[in-house]
Amino acid sequence: MNGCIVAFCCEHSAYPAADLAGKLRLHYPENLRVIRVPCAGQVDVIHILKAFENGAAAVLVLGCEDGACHHISGNTRAKERVKYCNMLLKEVGVDGRPVAMFNLSPNAPHKFVRAVNEITKIKKESGR
Amino acid sequence: METKIGIFLCNCGEAIRNIDFAATKEEVAQIPGVTCVNLSSNLCLKEGKEKMISCIKKENIDRVVVAACSPDFKEHFFRQVLESAGLNGHLFSMANIREQCSWAHEGDVTVKAVEVIKMAVNRARLLQPVKKKKFPVNREVLVFGGGFAAINAALQLSRVGLRTTLLEREAILGSETVELGSLCGFDISSMMSEVEGDENIEILTSAEVTAAAGKIGGFTVRIRKGGEEISHKYGAVVLATGYQTKLALEPELKSDINIVSQEKLCRMLEDPNLEIRPRTIGFMFDFSDENSRLSTLATLNNALAAKQKWDSEIYVFCKSVKVDGPGAEKLYREARDCGVVFLKCEARPRITADNGRVKIEAKDVFLGEDTILACDLLVAEELLLPSEGTEALSSLLNIRRDSRGFYQDENVHLYPVASEKKGIFFVGGCRGDLDLSRVLTDVSSVVVSVYELLSSGNILTEVEKVKADPQKCVACLTCIRVCPHDAIQLVRVDGGKEVAEVFDLACDACGVCAAICPAKAIKFRAYRDEEILAQIEAIGES
Repeated sequence: MNGCIVAFCCEHSAYPAADLAGKLRLHYPENLRVIRVPCAGQVDVIHILKAFENGAAAVLVLGCEDGACHHISGNTRAKERVKYCNMLLKEVGVDGRPVAMFNLSPNAPHKFVRAVNEITKIKKESGR
Repeated sequence: METKIGIFLCNCGEAIRNIDFAATKEEVAQIPGVTCVNLSSNLCLKEGKEKMISCIKKENIDRVVVAACSPDFKEHFFRQVLESAGLNGHLFSMANIREQCSWAHEGDVTVKAVEVIKMAVNRARLLQPVKKKKFPVNREVLVFGGGFAAINAALQLSRVGLRTTLLEREAILGSETVELGSLCGFDISSMMSEVEGDENIEILTSAEVTAAAGKIGGFTVRIRKGGEEISHKYGAVVLATGYQTKLALEPELKSDINIVSQEKLCRMLEDPNLEIRPRTIGFMFDFSDENSRLSTLATLNNALAAKQKWDSEIYVFCKSVKVDGPGAEKLYREARDCGVVFLKCEARPRITADNGRVKIEAKDVFLGEDTILACDLLVAEELLLPSEGTEALSSLLNIRRDSRGFYQDENVHLYPVASEKKGIFFVGGCRGDLDLSRVLTDVSSVVVSVYELLSSGNILTEVEKVKADPQKCVACLTCIRVCPHDAIQLVRVDGGKEVAEVFDLACDACGVCAAICPAKAIKFRAYRDEEILAQIEAIGES
């Protein structure tokens, strides 16, 4: 997968935000691959780990804003899972593979681009 | 059996310029399982649609991939196209090569486009059809409350032919609405007689709910009335329990007879035997509670009435006048024109009792000076609170409340009258401070939603979108705990084992349960693990 960033995007917030970023021609790194999910809470640990197994350099989980999740508490569950995933990666010694969760609303394309840029920066710092 | 995948590329009327479609077509045709690749420039128009249908039929395609715009934009349309071609609408996957590929990057993005299409093809290969089924629903509606919103909702529901039960805690209907009627100048008696004479409406007064269970289409509610309990099934529940007001005052001022509520002022205005007319009146609102739409309206109305009837001097202390209701701006201008003085203060004024009068000390932001007013009567600030019993009812029905204790809308902008549990709706004051015109809008939207749900007696819905495997389920209850829509329950299967079962009507297909299930017993058909993993596998192949 040579250093791609995999972004799991909630179809209620991050996916429309990504669309809007495209419509506004806000450019972000080309190596981003978006996977549409019905809720950030649906992203399982195995999905994130599989992305790394395939050679992803970073994984983003993007869900609704705190307190505004379409499915009430999906985003908090996703956050917990991302935290757990970071812990797992550390435990098995593949530390430094960035997984991050960001909250954004469907009308926040700039925040989407910022999230992508941020993870790219972390990725570069960790030397991938 | 090998699946036959058909790929439809569309350049969106040449809106996608930085992808080499000829090269893309050549490349994606190499993917195993792909039967045909079509290039078009108007897939979502009539000609494109017809071409697509004939191609699906001719090539005998059983999975369709469309590489064009965002699925948020056209997914629904293409699903319908598939259905008119005789395929299940879920055997469809979309590759977003416009918004998230062509438009998001500069320069040639053919490589990324091919990869995005490969991801969609990988997913398409694993897609499974989702069947639709009709569920019978109970055509009766239960309306909680006996006020303006509840009576209106019951009348309109009965008018569209749904049998409605009005459940009121008090002994008579609309005890508070009568007062409100005199406040706002409308006649409730005709509405009351109409509701009492309606054969389609059953009225239960002095009644309360002791238990509630079930899901949309069949809520079983136990109602206690006059010592006996009955159990009845309803297809939908409408909550119209209203609000209550409380004076926001320091405790030592509460007994002061010169400090009154808006309601008391109304009664004083109507009283023909009032001995002394107050010469100076102070009003206060918008300090403790930002949601001051109702108190603003009451203040404007009452200030005008007092000015006309008593010719008093009127001073209004407030942070801001919020005039977002219909006619409110006009009322405000009228009040100013006839001499009502509005004083804008940032901090809450200090109120003290002063020899039978009330002293108000405030700092006006425009004058920049301290203002002291001694008035004969102060109409105190009112806080808007959910009515008594809101908390108990919300825990009975298992629905959420907002930070102020009112019922929480599912989506403040998109579905303000729906709860997160399908089949339970809110109208009027029980979901926030709404003026009468907004309450009527609420009533209309609820009636439309309920009618849509129950009118035909059954609901057509997709089944087994999310399904728990009874063999794998160990009844750990994790899914029941996490389900945001309360759609999972335990059922007993053959052999006496209890397993989780997803109730299709209540399910909103978020997949939270599928992700959390420790035994991996719950499968989410539209987004199965395999599909997501297959998408990941396609990344970086090229």
